[in-house]
This record gives sequence, C-alpha cells and structure tokens, in this order.
Amino acid sequence: MTALLIKNFLRSKGLLTGLLVLLAAGFVSLNIGKYFLEKNKEIIEKTAEYQQKSIARNVAFHPKEIGLLLYYVRFGLVNEMPNLAGLSIGQRDINPSLQSVTIRNLEEQKYTTDLQNPLYQMLGNMDFSFVLIYLFPLIIIAFCFNLISEEKEEGTWSLVLSQSANPLKMLRLKMLVRYTSVLVVLLLLLLVAKFYLVIPFDATFLAFILTSILYVSFWFSLAWLVVSFQKNSSQNALILLLSWVMLTIVLPAGINAITVTLYPVPEAFSSVLESRDGYHNKWDEPKEPTVAKFHQHYPQFSQYRHPEGKDYSWLWYYAMQQMGDDEAATNAQAFKEKLQKRNTISSIAGLFFPTIHTQLSLNALSLSDMDNYLHFIEKLEGFHEQKRLHFYPKIFTDAAVSGEDWGGFGLDYFKEKANVHWLRTLFPLLIISGLCLILAKMKFRKNQMAG
Amino acid sequence: MLQATNLSKTYGEQTALNNLNLTIHEGEIFALLGQNGAGKTTTINCFLGFIEPSGGGVSINGVSVADNALETKKYLAYIPETVMLYANLTGTENLAFFSSLAGFSYNEEQLSGFLSKAGLQTAAHNQRVGGYSKGMRQKVGIAIAIAKKAKALLLDEPTSGLDPKASNEFSEILRELAKNGTAVLMATHDIFRAKEVANRIGIMKEGNLVSVIDAKDISANELEQLYLQTV
Repeated sequence: MTALLIKNFLRSKGLLTGLLVLLAAGFVSLNIGKYFLEKNKEIIEKTAEYQQKSIARNVAFHPKEIGLLLYYVRFGLVNEMPNLAGLSIGQRDINPSLQSVTIRNLEEQKYTTDLQNPLYQMLGNMDFSFVLIYLFPLIIIAFCFNLISEEKEEGTWSLVLSQSANPLKMLRLKMLVRYTSVLVVLLLLLLVAKFYLVIPFDATFLAFILTSILYVSFWFSLAWLVVSFQKNSSQNALILLLSWVMLTIVLPAGINAITVTLYPVPEAFSSVLESRDGYHNKWDEPKEPTVAKFHQHYPQFSQYRHPEGKDYSWLWYYAMQQMGDDEAATNAQAFKEKLQKRNTISSIAGLFFPTIHTQLSLNALSLSDMDNYLHFIEKLEGFHEQKRLHFYPKIFTDAAVSGEDWGGFGLDYFKEKANVHWLRTLFPLLIISGLCLILAKMKFRKNQMAG
Repeated sequence: MLQATNLSKTYGEQTALNNLNLTIHEGEIFALLGQNGAGKTTTINCFLGFIEPSGGGVSINGVSVADNALETKKYLAYIPETVMLYANLTGTENLAFFSSLAGFSYNEEQLSGFLSKAGLQTAAHNQRVGGYSKGMRQKVGIAIAIAKKAKALLLDEPTSGLDPKASNEFSEILRELAKNGTAVLMATHDIFRAKEVANRIGIMKEGNLVSVIDAKDISANELEQLYLQTV
C-alpha cells in the first residue's frame, strides 16, 4: 500500500512541483547566505588591512603629538560570525559584525554603523530560516489540506471506506509519505548547506537541524489536526492559511508592537544627546571641574594635572570625552536593560508560537540574535576601556609616538560560543506538535470516518 | 446472508426508510426498483455501515452491522454508482491498492486475472485510470469486488451510464458471482436489466418496500406496468 501511495504522490505533478519550488527557494537562500558570509569576510579582511595602513599613515602625519594621533586612530573589534549564520542571518544584517572605535567617547561611536541598503532591512533577507519558516509551511499546507477531502470530493472515499476496516491507517500513511518527502528536501538542503557554507558538524548545527525538523513537524501536526475536522477542501485551506498568516505575520508583528509599547527606548536617543552634550558643553566651561571629575573616575591618574591658565591640554580633552560617556552611562544602561527585557518577552511569547520560537532559536544558535549583539557591545566597551587605559598615561606624559609598536594593533576578535539549550530549544515545539496530534486523535475518534 | 429487520431511517421530519424487512440468501440476486428518493441507496448505506439506522437493524452473515461494523465490512463488497479511482495510478495499481486496503496482497498475474475476469481489456490494465471511460472504471470496481471474495455484493445503480454491451457483460458477471454463492443486492432504475438478472425484485416507494416479486413469474412488460402503478 505504501509503495502505491508513494507512486500516486510522485505522479501528481502539482505535488512534485511544490517540492521542486521548495528546493529551488532553498538553494537561492543558501546562495544568499554564502554571499552574506563572503561579504562579511571581505569587510573584515579589508578593515584589517586598512587599519594597519591608516595607523601607519596617521603615525607619519602626527609623529610628535600622541594625544592628537589618538584622536584619529581607530581600533577594530570583530564580532566573529559562525558560518551557520549564513543560514540564519537574523540581526546580523542590521547590527554590524565589526566595529572600529577611537579612544574618544564611546556612546556616539556605538551607533555609527555601516550604511545598509534600507530595502534589505525592510524585507529581511531571504535566508534559509526565511524559507524554512515562511515557505515550508505553505507547501505543507498545499500537500495536506485536502488529505481526506480530495478523496471525498473525487469520489474515491466511499470505495476506501467499504474496503478498509481502518481507513485512518491509510490516511496516516498518506500523511507520512508527504512528511517524508518534505523532510527529504529539508535534509538535502541542510546537507548541501553543510558543504557549501562549510558549516562544522557540531552540537550547534545538530540543534539547528533538529529545530528545523521539529518546526516542519509542527506544521504537519497542525495540518493533521485540521484534517481531523473532516471539513471540505476550501474550509481546510482557509483554516490552514489563516493559521499561517497569524503565526508567521500577525503574531510576530503584534508581539513586536507589544514589546515596543511596553518598553519604549527614549534612551536610545537621549543617551546620544546626553553624551554629546556631556562633552560639547565642556568647551565653554572652566577646565578644572572637568578634570576633577576625571580624577574621580580614575584616581590612578590624579598625578596628571591640567596646566594652570592654559586653554587646552590633552588631559582636559580626553577628560571631556570621558564625561560624554559618564553622563550618558545611566541612560545607556537603561537602554541595554530594556533591550534585554524586550528580548525576554519575545522568548516567552516564542514558547507558545512555533514560528517565533524557531526564528529566535535559529538566530541564537547562529549567533545572529540580539543577545549576541548585546554581548558584543559589552565586549566592545571593555575593549575600548582597555585601549583608553593603555594610552591615557602615554598621552598625559606626551610619550614619544615612536615608542609605541603601532604595527601590533591588528583587529581584535570577540568569539562567542553558542550555548545549546536542548530542552528550551526543542521542548516547546515538541509540546505543541504533540498537543495537535492528541487533539486530532480525539477528533478522529469522535468523528468516526463518515461517507 | 443480507438481512434487514424493521429497518427505519428518519432525517428530522422526513422518513427515508420505514420498517423495511428484507432477506437475501446466498447465491441470490435481489434488485431494488424505485424512484429517486425511494430509499434504495439509504438501504445500501445501512448495510455498508455508512449511516446509522434510526430503528431496526441490518445484519450480514448473521453479524449485526451496528455492533460489529469492522467485521461485517469484510463480508461486503460495494460498487458505487460511479466508480471513482486514483487517476494517477493504473488499473492494476488501483486494484492492488484497494485490495491492500481490504488486507489482500495479490501478485501482478492475479491482479490482471481479476481485471480480465471483470471484462477489462488487457491493453488497459497498465494504463493510468485517468484515461478510462466510465465503463472501464466500473469494471475495475467489479474486479475490486471480485478480488475481495466477498460473501455479499452491494451495487448502487451499477449499470447507469453503461452502453448495452457493457451492461450485458455486467449481468453475466453478476450471474457468475451468484452461482458461486455471493448474495447480491442491487439498486437500479433499469427495469429490463432487473428482470434479466435478478431472482427477486422489490419495488420501493417513499421508504416502504411495497412489493416483492419473483422474476421468473413476471414478464418485463408486466413488471413495468406494476412499477408504474406502484410509483
């Protein structure tokens, strides 16, 4: 029976076309991922080269004043991107994976990022996770919506019922054929991705694969539940497509709207303003209080003083820059905390909605999520601070520019390792799918197979 | 073999079947005549277990359908008015599929044998059913019934839409099945065919079985007269 069901499935042109469309979309998405990874690699390579050149050039231009030199010199920190991110680009296309900063105030520099084609940001990338989350369900719906109703509407059902003591078994096999065909396409894509994007086969990739499989399984479970109502084809199609619109578009947008309303971030704007005011205004103020505040922050530099009666000194200049960060610190912290809270709400919502959960999980595994970006920013703050502490004493003592090994300042790298939370990643999908299957079972039992 | 006892079915106010009593023995062909809506199909659907009677009951081979629909299904084969099959599968594959649903597994040769017995030309056996005529599909339906080796055969307007030759071949097959002990219940509009093939003929009107006649006691013309008077 199974062989004949498979034959019947494969001979149906529409169904086969569906699989091919899925495969084609999948290949396009892999290509987009490949391009994204390569572009990122190129940016990093070029920046590494440019940073060396730029430092050398600045050293040549400003050989006498280290304070002035460090006004210009930028140091880059790379947020290393695993190749898996090629499958799930997530927020990596908005948040930069490389940031170059001078030792001047940091707050402003955090948000001066690359220019991006705004069209990309609106639509998002058609990466693998998009194909998985948006397109796979559509094909699954097309495969399953008329599982029983096509038999009823085409007249084969009465013969099936008169022949079989257990027509449910036949339906299960029919479903299984469809499930297997979609899984084959999914696994084929992931296999190609593994080699094409050079993704190491580790626990993270395994979790990525399992999440994808469970997400597809969820849609089959939902389709099975809808089929169990034994409505006609058009009603089934309507119910399933509405579920798709709700789960993939309306609910994510709704939850986004909720988080934005619950946790507005005026801080994003005000911290930039405060930071700017924090130092700009200092030009018009007496120099001593600024320097005094700086000494409060860094008692270890108390021995360095602003030369009395002078209008300008590098100590004062960098103290003033420091004030930009110090005065925006509370706001910046609040901003980070709110982003964290928004993140938490999304994850909690994800527990109930497989689409959101899958997107967040895939992004987390690919280190393209908000968490990774926040960690990177934290690292950037440390990196910036370390550079300051290294150069401050040299600036304040006007150390010789030639005394520093400028060639040694290459790019620094932040490499986060994805934590695989097996239970938290897989369990919600399992539970919801299981729930659909149990409900379907009850419905089938109650409805008995009718003619 | 097939037995209906005080069988009734009502839909709200409307009575589809009213106290129907009917027994069809092994090897007997029983034709039910009647207008559309007289209750012929409802009777067949009660035997199939597709609808639940409002009163009375049906049994097959002594087993009540209401209590044990899964077992009675094994004794039954059914050919609907229009046999619809899977268009993407061939005649042989359709037969194999429906037989496997009933728990039978036949080899290629056996399947072809059933189809030939049902009168389907050999050349068509391995063609997709999508290109079949109604008569050809009907023959696959018969082959499915034969392959199930059922004790009772239920037919709903089996010859409607068949050309006279196909209709005649169909009657031949029914007679042969009956000779081998199958009980046949057939709902039909075709008075001539009923007289030709059936042992007994029942005429139904508004859910009642009005008269039952032995086919050998009546000519086709007399049967037509009786039918027209009844309905």
